[in-house]
Amino acid sequence: MAERCAVVGIGQTKYARRRGDVSLEGLVREAALRALEDAHVGWQDLDAIVIGKAPDALEGVMMPELSLCDALFAVGKPIHRVHTAGSVGASTAISAATLVESGRYQTVLTLGYEKQSDGNATWALGGGRSGSQGAGGSFAPWIRNYIQRSGAPEHVGWKVAVKDRLNACKNPYAHLQMPDITIEKVKESPLLWDPLHFLESCPSSDGAAAMVLTNAEGAKRAPRPPAWVIAHAKRTEFSQFPGRDTVKPAAGVDCAKALYQKAGITNPRKQIDVAELYVPFSWYEPMWLEGHLICEENEGWKMTDAGETELDGAFPVNPSGGVLSSNAIGASGMIRCLEAASQVRGTAGAYQVDGAKVALGHAYGGAAQYFAMWIVASDPEPRYRGSR
Amino acid sequence: MSRFDEIAIVATAQTPARRRYPDSEASLLLDLTNQLLAETRLPRSAVDFTIAGSCDYLSGLPFAFVSNVDGFGAWPPVYESHVEMDGAWALFEAWVRLQVGDIDVALIAGSGKSSPGTPREIFPLQTDPYYAAPLGLDPVSVAGLQARALLDAGLATERDFAAVVARSRRAALTNPNAQVAKDVSIEALLAEPYFASPLRKHDLPPISDGAAAVLIARGKRARELTDKPVWIRAIDHRIDSHHLGLRDLTDSPSTRLAARGVGVHAGPLDVAELCVRYSPEEIVLRRALELKDDTPVNPSGGPLSGHPVMATGLVRVIEVANRIRAGGARRGLAHAASGPALQQNLLCILEAA
Amino acid sequence: MSSLPSLAYTLEYPYTRTTGPVVGAFLTGLRDGRLLGIRCGRRVLCPPLEYDPETGASLAPDFVEVGPGGTLLSWTWIAEPTRKHPFQEPFAFALIRPDGADSAVCHAVKASGPEALRTGGRVRTQYRAERKGAITDLYFAPEAEAEAQYVPPGKGAVELTEHLISLTYSEPLAPHRERFAKGLLAGKFIGQRSPASGKVYLPSKGYDPIERVRMTERDDVVVADTGTVVAFTVITPVQYYGQKETEPYIRASILLDGADQPLGQQDIRTIPVAEFRTGLRVRAVWKSAAERSVLEVDNRWGGTGAVIERWEPTGEPDVPFEQIREHNW
Repeated sequence: MAERCAVVGIGQTKYARRRGDVSLEGLVREAALRALEDAHVGWQDLDAIVIGKAPDALEGVMMPELSLCDALFAVGKPIHRVHTAGSVGASTAISAATLVESGRYQTVLTLGYEKQSDGNATWALGGGRSGSQGAGGSFAPWIRNYIQRSGAPEHVGWKVAVKDRLNACKNPYAHLQMPDITIEKVKESPLLWDPLHFLESCPSSDGAAAMVLTNAEGAKRAPRPPAWVIAHAKRTEFSQFPGRDTVKPAAGVDCAKALYQKAGITNPRKQIDVAELYVPFSWYEPMWLEGHLICEENEGWKMTDAGETELDGAFPVNPSGGVLSSNAIGASGMIRCLEAASQVRGTAGAYQVDGAKVALGHAYGGAAQYFAMWIVASDPEPRYRGSR
Repeated sequence: MSRFDEIAIVATAQTPARRRYPDSEASLLLDLTNQLLAETRLPRSAVDFTIAGSCDYLSGLPFAFVSNVDGFGAWPPVYESHVEMDGAWALFEAWVRLQVGDIDVALIAGSGKSSPGTPREIFPLQTDPYYAAPLGLDPVSVAGLQARALLDAGLATERDFAAVVARSRRAALTNPNAQVAKDVSIEALLAEPYFASPLRKHDLPPISDGAAAVLIARGKRARELTDKPVWIRAIDHRIDSHHLGLRDLTDSPSTRLAARGVGVHAGPLDVAELCVRYSPEEIVLRRALELKDDTPVNPSGGPLSGHPVMATGLVRVIEVANRIRAGGARRGLAHAASGPALQQNLLCILEAA
Repeated sequence: MSSLPSLAYTLEYPYTRTTGPVVGAFLTGLRDGRLLGIRCGRRVLCPPLEYDPETGASLAPDFVEVGPGGTLLSWTWIAEPTRKHPFQEPFAFALIRPDGADSAVCHAVKASGPEALRTGGRVRTQYRAERKGAITDLYFAPEAEAEAQYVPPGKGAVELTEHLISLTYSEPLAPHRERFAKGLLAGKFIGQRSPASGKVYLPSKGYDPIERVRMTERDDVVVADTGTVVAFTVITPVQYYGQKETEPYIRASILLDGADQPLGQQDIRTIPVAEFRTGLRVRAVWKSAAERSVLEVDNRWGGTGAVIERWEPTGEPDVPFEQIREHNW
């Protein structure tokens, strides 16, 4: 019999190109301690720990649950580590949620992190070889295809880049703080992977994000309103096979359908108040709006262009500043889930979406083949707009 | 554990452990997945959740695990996940996931090829990156420290280590999946020179490639899929401190905690398959588990006879399950370990209907 | 087994780890010839931790010098050191409790032989002549064999420590990869046609993942070396350790005639960006047989760059976008 799962504590580090002031242990403890503080629980209250991060070669530390367990007070407890490429932060949150939903564990700490400044992300993404195309080089051709399919004007990507960086100025944790960013500056920034400009691309960050999850009984003791986990879904497809659509992957469509069905959502565009989508390169905002059935094909860029995805728009996307403003790969998916929870708890401060009650947290990874998403709400039984 | 749903292993598959497979890991997993589906007559779409364990660093490629998806099948898209750990921890996650109650069938795998790299150079990266990894502190050396601690404490003799090896390698003669199987006397073993004293080369596991997979299902569904379900009565895992200087290497507190968690002695144990990668580990584990002297340990030969890293723990589960299905045991214990000197331990109690 | 040589591939990066205040203080101590522990309640932990392992609480940076003497709690004599060990001739790893500490350090002991070591024996810290603020600055020796040293302190606090990780991997080519590589040497693209679906995979992984069937030599097919550009980007190289590229270049995927999925990672340096587009028809121009090399081909990476001189336009009309819309890998 499934237990309910609620997010009762969230904690993040300040994201930066290099967190020169901390060790790996210091980095993860910073996020974990904030989450524990936010939840008003102590280390001893945790029944299990679930950590997640992207490839170990990013830091050169193999199976880090082994060397980090002491720092997370996991000695004597179950701890395991999820690895699903870029989607890992959300996969990890989902793995932790199922520990609670199963009834096996009551209070679980979940954490995603990356300390990219210890190594080099482009090197790691290229398998350690010369000529790495990085993540941007992999996605740029698919972005070109989307632009061709949809007929979108070239400025749409630049608009996303400006929106997310200006949102980030309201987020004290964000890595990039660019109050002076403009469309012109994005357009004039160098082309890294044609057609993506430098300022349309995510940074490389150090950082960690953590949440304390618990069941309904534990949630009664939470000092702040909990964010209830309403539904979660994951889907995976092969990276390459004959006829694969990399621009609107079937796994992304299937994942969204499964998620909405479990959540009882029939009209995501109307019934979801805010979305934290994994947008590491600007054009992925319109691509995921379409790819996850929030709008029709070829309409995603119009939503962006019309300003609907602004903080005060009809469908705010990435009010936190998103992956475009902070990208510690192992943490980024967790941050999306955490920021969605923050919105429905009303704790998003300067970038709070007014009246947000239902939020989507999302991540993708690999060759746009891994998808992990969750819906959180302020009400354990949300009543959606326009539902029967 | 009785408030949890009954979950059973309904089919198992493993490759023999080999020094080197020319096939890719994904190819091995493809074969095993096909085997499991054929045995249960299930289409791929009937598997609700798939989860694998593997390690990128063994293969030497960041994101190496992505290729393994080819082995399980992911078209149409599937619900799946991955842990950078032995497949036994993937089994744990699958068991937990099925307890949520909305899905019934899961496929779990573990795989690894140790042949391309030099494990003794790779595994130091599991240790503290500031204090230990730059010393190249490898698991063989740490096992040597554990072995000496046991000798110093009077808890074991070198002869005891050799006895574990001799028994394991002899038992492996009956295991078609073992890599190293031979009849060798304790005296002959003791005559060999030290490698990481007091350990000798034979006290170490072989270097192996291999893969393993199981299909599990909830109660009613399990009975539909096999007439010999092997019930997972309990599963638990715990971890000890990473800091060797804070540990008593002669004991395994995390194993003791996990043992309490699964109720190891809630019933008779007919067999135990333990992740004995270094012979002294058997002594530590037997003590921590409070095993009776007459409980058969590692009739498969254990990891000393074949060590497909990232599958080894899942293979222990499979060996116990197979023994139960064949009628050779009613209730058995499977153990998986991760990290230097048995830092992390997982236990699983399996039982016939 | 393959008759082509195994490609040995080295994964190497010089990691630079920020230490934070506790590890940093410890490594600064090592650089200066001092062994430090941290106070934790009534105990002194060496090496120092940032937290109390009993409670999880963060520790104040209250450091205490410990050693230089210490007691061996356990040791193992390493007869065949690996290339990563601190010494390349036999030595010991040991657990050593420094005088004044309540926990043990795991480190290397340089000794004349295993006879010089026993549990309970006394050892002393030793420092390398050249130190860089890393755990490798330190080692131990039995008291009776230890050298007297003067270790001049350095300047400033260590906040960064370097760790070069270099791992070499080598495996023979799988049979289908060997045939692929030999095909390249012969100026041919050899793919495999699935016996189940008829789809042609190039390069093949030796199986059809959709139908989940293995493929064999019987399934090998020669694929034309003309095709259509279906996707591309222009990469502006970013500098990183091991990067050899300096100038922007096109990286494209080409759907070869007869193949059912595109051949990716084709680097184009001879067609101007302004003339490059999806839909462009191209052909491979092979290097002369004597110049072709498959030394860079392993079980994962294609390495066609060392057999193909360049891709050039064929001059045929472009393929309309709608026909290649779905082939966008």
